[in-house]
Amino acid sequence: MLTSFFLAAVEAHGAVAGTSEPSLIEKFGVEWQFVVFQGISFLILFGVLYKFGIKPTISAMEERQNKIESGLKYAEDMKTQLAASQQETAKLIKNAQLEATKIIEESRKTAKDFADKIQKESAERATDQLAKAQQAIDLEHKKMLADARTEIARLVVATTERVLAKKLTEADRASYNETATKELTNV
Amino acid sequence: MAANKKAQQLARQLFKLSLVDGLVSADRVTGVLGYLEKLRPAHPLAVLKAYHRFVATELAKSQAVVEHAGAVSDSILQTIASTMTKKYGRAVTVSTRANPELLAGLRVRVGDDVYESSVSGQLGALAASV
Repeated sequence: MLTSFFLAAVEAHGAVAGTSEPSLIEKFGVEWQFVVFQGISFLILFGVLYKFGIKPTISAMEERQNKIESGLKYAEDMKTQLAASQQETAKLIKNAQLEATKIIEESRKTAKDFADKIQKESAERATDQLAKAQQAIDLEHKKMLADARTEIARLVVATTERVLAKKLTEADRASYNETATKELTNV
Repeated sequence: MAANKKAQQLARQLFKLSLVDGLVSADRVTGVLGYLEKLRPAHPLAVLKAYHRFVATELAKSQAVVEHAGAVSDSILQTIASTMTKKYGRAVTVSTRANPELLAGLRVRVGDDVYESSVSGQLGALAASV
């Protein structure tokens, strides 16, 4: 581009210089062959620089840009994942708290039911034992009364027998025997 | 066990042969014992024991043992003998035995039957009923 501009300017100046006075190019001492060599040298230099300097630099810059973009994207993804993880964690914690609360409530209810059941069974057992004890006391009381009655009756009979053995006369016995005979013969 | 049962059956048959008009006859018993001594059945000791028991039981039914406390007149004994003879339908003889534990009254045993009317018996019944 720059070369074309120079050439156009030189041609225009040559056209003007062909008329009367030296052209501007001639005033500056520009030689066409030098300009051409300069141009070629510049192109060669530019090609070399482009191949070994500019192109690797651009590649490196593009690679770095890609790395930065991928890093940013990765960071963004990580941020999104972190937010999602935090939400998931919060959700899990909340669920865990709810579950824990539920378990605690169930445990309390179970413990209360168990305690009520134990208390009820203890009360029933105590009532049964009380009733059995009362029955045993009643039986023991009745047995004691029966034993006392039997013992008293035995003592009364023994005493009566002793008294009668001493007090009954032969006449009394003979009279009783007569009565007993009548009783036995009427059987 | 079966031998004992056979001995019982034989003793019962011999006992029935020993009765005359429902009473144990001394002659028949003598004859039965002679038969046993002569012919010796199987298990003779078991047969003899069973026969003795049958005879003793039957004789006890013909004897009334009167236990008494105090005097017992002959009229009382005769009354008891006639009553028991009439009751059992056989001649029942009476024997006496004093028993002061009765205090007063009588206890009559005929075989396994016991009839009692005594003071001690009434006191015992009173003690049992309390």
